[in-house]
Amino acid sequence: MSEINYGAAKILLIDDEDHLRNGVKRILELEGYNVDTAENGTEGIRKGVNGDFDVILIDLKMPDIGGIEVLRELRLQKPYSICYIATAFASYETAVEATKLGAEGYILKPFTSDELIHDINKGIQKRHLILESERLRKEREESLLELAFERSRLKAIINSLADGVIVINKNEEVVYFNPAALRLLNIHTLILKEKIRGKVSAEISGLMNEVAEEKVDSEKPRSIQLEIKPRGELYVEVSCTPVAGFDSMISGMVLVLKDVTQFKQLEQVKSQFVSMVSHELKSPIAATLGFLDIILNPNLNISKEQEEDFLKRSANRLRTLLIMVNDLLDISRIELNSVKREVVRVELASSIKDCIDFLGNDAAQKNIQIKNGIEFDRYFILADKAEVERVFTNIISNGVKYNKAGGELNIAARIDGSYIRLDFADTGIGMQKEEKEKLFSEFFRAKNEFTRGINGTGLGLSIVKKTMAHYNGKILVESEYGHGTTFSLFFPVEEKI
Amino acid sequence: MALIAIIDDDPDILDAGSIVLQSNGYTVITATNPKDGFNLVKANNPDLIILDVMMIEADDGFFLAQKFRREGFKTPILMYTSVSKTLGFQFGKSDIVPVDDFLEKPVTPEVLLEKVEKLLKEHTEVK
Repeated sequence: MSEINYGAAKILLIDDEDHLRNGVKRILELEGYNVDTAENGTEGIRKGVNGDFDVILIDLKMPDIGGIEVLRELRLQKPYSICYIATAFASYETAVEATKLGAEGYILKPFTSDELIHDINKGIQKRHLILESERLRKEREESLLELAFERSRLKAIINSLADGVIVINKNEEVVYFNPAALRLLNIHTLILKEKIRGKVSAEISGLMNEVAEEKVDSEKPRSIQLEIKPRGELYVEVSCTPVAGFDSMISGMVLVLKDVTQFKQLEQVKSQFVSMVSHELKSPIAATLGFLDIILNPNLNISKEQEEDFLKRSANRLRTLLIMVNDLLDISRIELNSVKREVVRVELASSIKDCIDFLGNDAAQKNIQIKNGIEFDRYFILADKAEVERVFTNIISNGVKYNKAGGELNIAARIDGSYIRLDFADTGIGMQKEEKEKLFSEFFRAKNEFTRGINGTGLGLSIVKKTMAHYNGKILVESEYGHGTTFSLFFPVEEKI
Repeated sequence: MALIAIIDDDPDILDAGSIVLQSNGYTVITATNPKDGFNLVKANNPDLIILDVMMIEADDGFFLAQKFRREGFKTPILMYTSVSKTLGFQFGKSDIVPVDDFLEKPVTPEVLLEKVEKLLKEHTEVK
């Protein structure tokens, strides 16, 4: 509370008697008060309403408007001004009336300057108290308003959270929740003060038990993952954190619900991939071990030719296994973007010629004609030479492997829009629609009457696709089952070559 | 001697298994995909079926085993695969995987012969 500065107080004197008015004014001014005067009731009301006086002294008997009327008006308009009625004719009735109207007191004429100053100072003190409490009241009102605003803002924030929040008290009654909590628990309603048990699953109840039994000072959340909707439609991670009270006993718990469906789905894809990889890695090992166990088993009599055949096939399986492991490492490098590339200008016709030469033996064995129809020194791309040649080798190798004996593989290049387009058209066994759809997924290999005896890892086209994506290119495939397949590689046309 | 059908898409494993069984006097017939496998069993009514799980699709073996039972075949089925642990299936006599026994690849000749003999014996006793 601030110190009272009496001297700065503003006093208004309303009196029709000039000498009395001026006399009092002089006395009060000598004390240092700030004094204004009015010589009748009308002027008194006007000044009193417009000014902000601490104390107003009103003469009871005035010719125009009586002091009581002036008091009534001023109290109405300026409720915090302290008013005294000054009179020589005090009566019981006017005293009661004046007090009812809120006058601070009577000053009986004639009065000594000491008496007057005493009363005035008392008035100033009162006024100061009133203003101070008014200030506090306003302050409190404002902070309540702020608090209410803060609360509604907090509520809006919690309600718009994607995560669900439920707060329960020590009696395990719901004291707060947001709409997301209902969605993530897959329930329609939750009522405040309702017991949480019975509304949530046994697993969440169990989680709450665990938290309740723990020491509270840890305040560590415990969490579980639950399948809320069947068939993996909604997975939710529920975390439960204890809230410590004054006595360090649990005064409640906060449950936070998080939608982890996407993570779960990703986990499943990952585990499927791992099981595919382990199958693909174990199959050649199982085959090789199968052959070796036969060869090493003295009870199994096999011919020398059979033994040689089994050893060759074992070696083949191990070679494929090695390629597969390398392919897997390549895929991982591409996906982690940790491939070291040396980007150079690659001339396509000669690059593809090299690849054809590399696969010459394979093609000759099946009597397949590979025709490089690309014009030399016309088409260039910027790429790591070894990387793109691996793509070409892969596509050409497929054109040989999945061709019919005596078939053809025709390679051509042309500009198609903003791309250089390379077509690899074979006269091979083609693909069925379902095979085409799975063509680029890892470990997929077409298995039908034609593909028996064709080796492969099922990773080649997956690497091709990822590599083409790296060079902002694409791969398309057209196929007719039994008649042939055309792979088309698209490389963006480079402006500055 | 008993007639055994092996259905597996891996020709090397198929051949190795066949040699082991043939050397011990069994007659072996083979198929490399579920469709051929079903027709093979239907046509020859073998005494035992050895069935791989992952063929064209990752779960071909399961569906083929179910199809055999649905079509009334009571032939004992010995299922084998490389990925039982990662697939998380409980193998054994269940409605989902209605097979009589299960082996994890690779299978040694000794274990294969032992299982085959055991299953054939059990099945003969039931008959």
